[in-house]
Amino acid sequence: MGGSVSKIMGKIFGTKEMRILMLGLDAAGKTTILYKLKLSNQDVTTIPTVGFNVESVTYKNVKFNVWDVGGQDKIRPLWRHYYSGTQGLIFVVDSSDTARIEEARSELHKIINDREMKDALLLVFANKQDSPGRLSPEEVTNALQLNKLKDKLWYVAPSVATEGTGIFEGLAWLSNNVKTPPQK
Amino acid sequence: MAARDRFGGAYADPGFTPLQRAIRNACDISHYEPNLALNLEVADLINSKKGNAPREAALEIVRLINSRNQNVALLALVLLDICVKNCGYPFQLQISTKEFLNELVRRFPERPPMRPSRVQHRILESIEEWRQTICQTSRYKEDLGFIRDMHRLLLYKGYVFPEIRHEDAAVLNPSDNLRSADEMEEEEKEAQSAKLQELIRRGTPADLQEANRLMKVMAGYDNRHKTDYRAKAAEEVSRVQQKAKILEEMLQSHQPGEQVAEGDVFEELANALQSAHPKIQKMCEEESDDPEAVHKLLEINDSIHRTIERYKLVKKGDHDAASRIPKGTLGTTTGVSKNANNELSLIDFDPEPSSNSSAPQAPTGNSLENDLLGLSIDEPAPTGGISLGPTNPIVSSAPPIQQQAPPPPTPPQAFKPNYDILSSLGSSRPVSQSPSPRPQHATSVTATPPPTDPFASLVSASPRHGSPFPAGATPTQQPSPMGSSSLLDLAGTQSSESANKADDDEWSFASSLPQSNTLPSTNRVEVLNSLLKIEFVARRHPQQARQIHVAALFSNGTNQVLNELHFQVAVEKAYTLQLRPQSGREIAPQQQNGVQQELLLDGVDMGKGNSVKIRYKVSYRVGQEQKEEQGMVPSLGIA
Repeated sequence: MGGSVSKIMGKIFGTKEMRILMLGLDAAGKTTILYKLKLSNQDVTTIPTVGFNVESVTYKNVKFNVWDVGGQDKIRPLWRHYYSGTQGLIFVVDSSDTARIEEARSELHKIINDREMKDALLLVFANKQDSPGRLSPEEVTNALQLNKLKDKLWYVAPSVATEGTGIFEGLAWLSNNVKTPPQK
Repeated sequence: MAARDRFGGAYADPGFTPLQRAIRNACDISHYEPNLALNLEVADLINSKKGNAPREAALEIVRLINSRNQNVALLALVLLDICVKNCGYPFQLQISTKEFLNELVRRFPERPPMRPSRVQHRILESIEEWRQTICQTSRYKEDLGFIRDMHRLLLYKGYVFPEIRHEDAAVLNPSDNLRSADEMEEEEKEAQSAKLQELIRRGTPADLQEANRLMKVMAGYDNRHKTDYRAKAAEEVSRVQQKAKILEEMLQSHQPGEQVAEGDVFEELANALQSAHPKIQKMCEEESDDPEAVHKLLEINDSIHRTIERYKLVKKGDHDAASRIPKGTLGTTTGVSKNANNELSLIDFDPEPSSNSSAPQAPTGNSLENDLLGLSIDEPAPTGGISLGPTNPIVSSAPPIQQQAPPPPTPPQAFKPNYDILSSLGSSRPVSQSPSPRPQHATSVTATPPPTDPFASLVSASPRHGSPFPAGATPTQQPSPMGSSSLLDLAGTQSSESANKADDDEWSFASSLPQSNTLPSTNRVEVLNSLLKIEFVARRHPQQARQIHVAALFSNGTNQVLNELHFQVAVEKAYTLQLRPQSGREIAPQQQNGVQQELLLDGVDMGKGNSVKIRYKVSYRVGQEQKEEQGMVPSLGIA
């Protein structure tokens, strides 16, 4: 009941709710980003996620329900269970891990080719921009072959998750571009 | 009509997903009766898309059930029935959500009407059917609890549920068909997927916690509850075997002249066996990396095939031809004697070493084959102790005889590492002894160390040859002088040759040596030839008819001193073993026969000397290196 009241309030005052799914290879920094969003000013230490984490973050009148699912290859087959109802996909890339950028590309394309993800916005965090030998956001864009995508709204944001730089800019892009309010 | 306006032409609407369109198509008012082809198409679509499809379908169907048009509603109810029966757990999970069930009875008045409408009647029938089938028999029935709750609620409000036809509903019960390990695993994975999807969708904290736990299981991080699908498959095969056995027995007691009626137990069993046939073949393919399992499956397949053939002939009334088919399926004797142990023992599948309280091959056993198989199953794992098959071929009911071990030559602490293994193993075969003192465990009956391969024990009731021909002859319980020992004759008289093969994994039981009574009364065999060399000199005492005297001779083949020698021996329960103390524990470099030990083997009939099976285990130290070796003593080669 409380939920529906606040939904009505939300309609009146313009709060939006957005279901975000955050994926990417293991050790890309997904969980760090999630908790940096949640607890802006604190240091975050994480361990590899076996399973998933979910947090709600309100930013600029938009309530983001962010699902962070583990990225180890054993868990990747389970990602599809989280697609349903997702409005925005955050794909996190370790920009310094050039060896696995191709693997990241193939996983990303698998996700966005799924029917249930066809309407989702795509935000790519080119993470770990503080590392030496990192790829620039443009290089990440090319490596992930984002320019080939059709009918897809996407954006690559540089970020340093451990310091919290860049991640709120990414969220801002999502909230500015979300079209339909969630149906469920 | 309103419904027509709402649905007519709706399929073209791009707002609908293909699934919704297919459902609306199947329930279209233009059909006067249910269109099975369209309905099955919907079911296929759900099964192939998985993911969110079951939920989407369930909600769409219930929307149509609540349609104002009674025909559409009835069509949707038929479609619902088809989906419940064909889409398995993922769909059943959806119809048991509160959301769905509330929607299903949305148009039920608070008080039951005098006469329920056709739609209401059909809905009540469905709920009753689910309650009596999937809510009780599904593997995941605890996930379907809301169906029961809804049933109770309606009952409470005064609704009367119609009788259901059990034959129709039976489809919903788990099938009796044989399933292979892979199929079971697949099924389980699918159910887990569906459940995870549903948990994530619901998204309450409890659900999410459960989802996280389930993910760990699915991703393989949490193996605590992992099912051993191969063991389960083996269990299923054994069930089929049991059926074959029953049919075989029934056929054997079937008199010529009696009619085999249609649809009676005979036919039911035969059908079950027939349907298992291709499945076993498929399992053979899946198990192709395990020749042992394939071999056994093929044996079972053969025997089932024979039973079916016989059934067909008996049914035709051709009893002569039927009796020409070799008798006996696996797990049955040929009707000569009923042998309690001569059937497949399921307990062997048990992967837990400790839970063997009900071990079936405990001491009552009396089949030779079991004995052999016992040996092949617990082939030495590196730390495994000395073990022989727990059953004995001759003295089936003799109480275990425990002999007092002679005082140890050295302090027992030295053997500490072996001690536990031995005492736990020894407890199941009271005859195995070591001359070091140990607590008397003889009263507790533990089973053989469990086989690691669930298929290994499948045909514990049959000899390796795989056909019942030789089996028919063997399980005689009287020890006939030479003839019946041929099966046990592991390596005939070529003992020295087989000495080093003793602990090979593969046992070759083939032996076609001409049986002769000319075996000597003394013989020398080499037991071990590594750093340490062990020889057995076995001989028969002229006075002691049933006793074999063995002298074990230990020689050092290295240029170092070999010390802390500890020799242990085990024999089958049929025999009793006495160990005299070792003459010492140290052998000088290159010393021949530096240590000796005498063994007395009692209860071996004349002529059986060559078939005595002895296992040994020896530990010693060379320099700083602790060594342990074990294996099978080759045939003693004496009469």
